[in-house]
Amino acid sequence: MLTFYRWLLYLYPSLCRREYADEMVSVFHDAQADLSARRFGGRLSFRIRETWGLLAGAVQEHIRIIGGRYQLISFTRFNMRPEFRFPRSTVFLMSIIFGGVILAMEKANTIQVKYAAGSGSIWPSLPWFLGFTLLFTCAAAMAGWGILFALGRTGAHRLANIQPCPNSPD
Amino acid sequence: MPLTEPVLLVLLSLAEQPRHGYSILKDVERMSGGRVKLSTGTLYGALHRLLDDAWIERIEEDESPRDRRPYRLTSRGRRNLQLEIERMRHLTKLAALRVARKEA
Repeated sequence: MLTFYRWLLYLYPSLCRREYADEMVSVFHDAQADLSARRFGGRLSFRIRETWGLLAGAVQEHIRIIGGRYQLISFTRFNMRPEFRFPRSTVFLMSIIFGGVILAMEKANTIQVKYAAGSGSIWPSLPWFLGFTLLFTCAAAMAGWGILFALGRTGAHRLANIQPCPNSPD
Repeated sequence: MPLTEPVLLVLLSLAEQPRHGYSILKDVERMSGGRVKLSTGTLYGALHRLLDDAWIERIEEDESPRDRRPYRLTSRGRRNLQLEIERMRHLTKLAALRVARKEA
């Protein structure tokens, strides 16, 4: 159950998990140890309560983030750091924007067909557009990765770790 | 805004003395006579909100391990808890009066 519990904790926002996961696991561990003498029904209700509590808690924490309690996107992720991490929030936002663009194009296409019947659509069909977008995204991702790899090779990311020389006059 | 029962019980638990997570969980169960059993998700959701609103604070002790940090009520939290108790006292008094009047 502890493994399952730890796994469920991954549903929480990373900021919240970093702050509370250790404590939550410790409290859960103690509460579970208390149950050893109880009957099957008691243990089952404890597990259901904990699972439901975690699921509801994770949803609430995500809603709090959307509500603006936290800084939604960390702009410091791409600053000079020893390791590179791609923020997951960016993937989410990019998906939303992508969906919005598709929706807008579909809408525009419908309007064009409606008001200029017979003249034909100036937009490519959706499957072609999706295929092209996928290819373009892959190419852009490869280019981005290449640039970051090249930056890594130059050692630029190590600049953040430079310590002042102890014997220098200033 | 009225507090939910779990939050009220958590605050009452901390009003007595600083406690860590598991101690709060057991105290809430004891206070409610076993009726309210908080899950860890509910407990830490409530603690997180109370920390954000500065109703409670963490006690940073060097010797306490990271997974067993105690919490205590702030002066703001205590003041708000007293207001809530006052509101409930007024409500129960009013309810008792209305019910008594109806019975008479």
